[in-house]
Amino acid sequence: MIKKFFRTTVAGPIFALFAVVLVASLASPRFLMVANLSNVSLQVSIVAIVAIGATLVILTGGIDLSPGSTVAVVCCTLAILVKNMGLPLPVGILLVLLLGVFLGFINGFLSTYGKIPSFIATLATMSIYRGLAFLITNGTPIFSVSPQLDSIFYGKFLKIPLPFYYVLILYAIMAIFLRNTIPGRSIYALGGNESAARLTGIRVNRVRMLAYVLAGLMAAIAGVLETAWLNSGSPNYGSELGLESIAAAVIGGASLIGGYGSMVASLVGALIVAVVQNGLNLRAVPASWQEITIGGVIVLAVGLDMWRSTLGGILKRIFKFTTSDSKEEKSTKTSGG
Amino acid sequence: MENDKTPLWSAHGICKSFPGVQALDNVSMDLYPGEVHALIGENGSGKSTLAKCLAGVYPLEGGEIFFKGKPLIFRDPTEARKSGVATIYQEFSLVTTLSVAENIFLGSYKIYPSSRLIDWAAMRLSAVNVLEQLALEIDPDAIVSGLSVAEQQLVEIAKAISMESTLLIMDEPTAALGLVEIDHLMNLIRRLASQNKTIIYISHRLDEVFEIADRVTILKDGQRVGTAPISDMNMRDVVRMMVGFDIEQHYPKETHVQPEICLEVSHVSTDKGVHDVSFEIKKGEVFGLGGMLGSGRTEIGKAIFGVDRVRKGSIKLNHKVMFFKNTAESIASGIGFLPENRKVDGSFLNFEGPKNITISRLKEVLKGPFIQLATERMVGVDYVKKLDISPSALDRSVQYLSGGNQQKVIIARWLFSQARLLILDEPTQGIDIGAKLDVYRVINELTANGISILLISSDFPELIAMSDRIAVVRDGRILKIAEAQRISEIELISIASGVEVEEETGIKEISS
Repeated sequence: MIKKFFRTTVAGPIFALFAVVLVASLASPRFLMVANLSNVSLQVSIVAIVAIGATLVILTGGIDLSPGSTVAVVCCTLAILVKNMGLPLPVGILLVLLLGVFLGFINGFLSTYGKIPSFIATLATMSIYRGLAFLITNGTPIFSVSPQLDSIFYGKFLKIPLPFYYVLILYAIMAIFLRNTIPGRSIYALGGNESAARLTGIRVNRVRMLAYVLAGLMAAIAGVLETAWLNSGSPNYGSELGLESIAAAVIGGASLIGGYGSMVASLVGALIVAVVQNGLNLRAVPASWQEITIGGVIVLAVGLDMWRSTLGGILKRIFKFTTSDSKEEKSTKTSGG
Repeated sequence: MENDKTPLWSAHGICKSFPGVQALDNVSMDLYPGEVHALIGENGSGKSTLAKCLAGVYPLEGGEIFFKGKPLIFRDPTEARKSGVATIYQEFSLVTTLSVAENIFLGSYKIYPSSRLIDWAAMRLSAVNVLEQLALEIDPDAIVSGLSVAEQQLVEIAKAISMESTLLIMDEPTAALGLVEIDHLMNLIRRLASQNKTIIYISHRLDEVFEIADRVTILKDGQRVGTAPISDMNMRDVVRMMVGFDIEQHYPKETHVQPEICLEVSHVSTDKGVHDVSFEIKKGEVFGLGGMLGSGRTEIGKAIFGVDRVRKGSIKLNHKVMFFKNTAESIASGIGFLPENRKVDGSFLNFEGPKNITISRLKEVLKGPFIQLATERMVGVDYVKKLDISPSALDRSVQYLSGGNQQKVIIARWLFSQARLLILDEPTQGIDIGAKLDVYRVINELTANGISILLISSDFPELIAMSDRIAVVRDGRILKIAEAQRISEIELISIASGVEVEEETGIKEISS
């Protein structure tokens, strides 16, 4: 059972998460306090939800750069619908979720039927959606959207913040979707071998469209949370979400070739980023060094995976060395440290 | 050919094996300056492997290569190229985004010695010279992707010639060329031979071989059957030597043909090179499609499977006219397709065995909307036992399996999909004898259960032995349909390669 766990690809990221939690709790006694942990769960919620979409798209072998801009359009639209046009909040939310689906559909359409590589297509829509957000708001943020919004983000259930539940529920649903439904399996098949997928009767185009549409929906959900978080809509929101969500998926072990990755792994990836950021915040490390550290984490996470066989060989050799000669052990240890 | 000359190049006792196959077994040949030496044999006889050994692509497992009597060892293609071996491969090695001139000098760019910058002017001039020397009317500045396939082939040849080689290996150089261009190429080869270069000419088109070659070496199953001046041979001798008389392998063929018709293909044409093809397959019948690489045999399979759109004609499955828009529809109607290239079109390397098997019919392992992973695994266990697949397939990605096991996983996929008509494209290519016998056993089991098989194979003895009837395909057309027992390998090869052999030439003594 344990052996089986080690062979799964999630094992590495989970150990890494434990490691960063350990380091963070050693670095600051405040880390493990309930107030801080609850803060981390708030921080991580939005990027974690966007990372669901990033994972789906990456699994098909594509990439989505646009969700940050989708978040901005959704925030601004929700603010306009509710504050300026006076629509009831639930109606506004429903409409912007549909908007997210539509924006995802455009991404999917461009890369599936338009045959534009997803990197380029979503690079373009990233710019277009961001521009739309500026267009509809005339470039000025809309504040105090609705008093009802606060409870969506800051509400608690059993003393735990609501976003924690949103993340948990969405990840549970999407994990089951990926593991146990035909469309979910088809996403893996498409990313694993498109030609074989086509020859085994998988409607490749529809599956790809589905991944982008779901990614749009997830970005819209994240957008609603973002609006609730700040009770405002601004065209500048979410500018880093696109890359952060990709980082979370990749740190979790998703492969940009497609076909490899999972929901649990991406959640772990998002948590790793959040814990590292939080730990650095607690130690009052300046933002510049935070950015640099996150970059290092990405290199390390993907690098360790790529170099696994080489590193394994080196470790094995060191291990053989140490068991045969204890004197050598000290020298390798010192040289290693 | 004057025999008193010493050979310029020679190969002695070349051996090379791939997992499960001895591709070359102690093959020797001497090559004289100014000689066009044809290398012929059936598909898989080792021609291309020998070419790649001479070109340094494959390391030798035995034997030696001599240039002017001195032994040479090539560790990689660059070393071979430096020693004067230029190769034109079946697959193009051009960078399609670069110009013709750049491609000709790819890897050996002309540079200013002082600044180490590329001397574009000198390079273009040399390219013009090479092209002129070959009398090719191709713009040296044209981007390769804009050229026709035939022109690309000619650039490939220009590239090989620019290297000032003494040995030029051409592997199926005419496959992409039209008649005029072939004529052109023949003249070119003669001119090169007159410059005392040695040319190894690999082709399955015997008419070309007889036109251009001075001598011919015939390979069969990785062994040299013979070498002789072409003037001492006639077409029939060559074909007989290619085929051989002893079919040692034992094929466990069983016949289960039922009278009802399963598939009826009438006058089908596609845009992908199928022309007016008609045949029918009965229930429980193995219908073989024989032909050379690129003959259109795979495309016929793809037309039936709904991959390529049928432009003319009709396909009837169980007496119902079918027009498949995609493979989902054809699979739902009970057709399965085992593709020729397992790695590219078959296996999901990110999946373990069970997921690879159930993918074609996931509905079967659903409960409500959910895939039952336990049920899926049981399906996997079931087929692992049934087809004698390595049990490690259950928990590990299929990329760790041998070719034979991977192939059996894909066969399991189509057994699980409940296909009533199974198209097998090269089902035994690159797998060992044991796995081959398993595949034959599965074919028998399937036909016994009334499932029809469309068998495509380059291995003609296998095709003849395992099929009930055979259609010979060339240029996307079916030229002959016959009972498998009534068609000999000689006849099959002759028709498939476009050589006419008289009807009654002692054919019966070879078959079965």
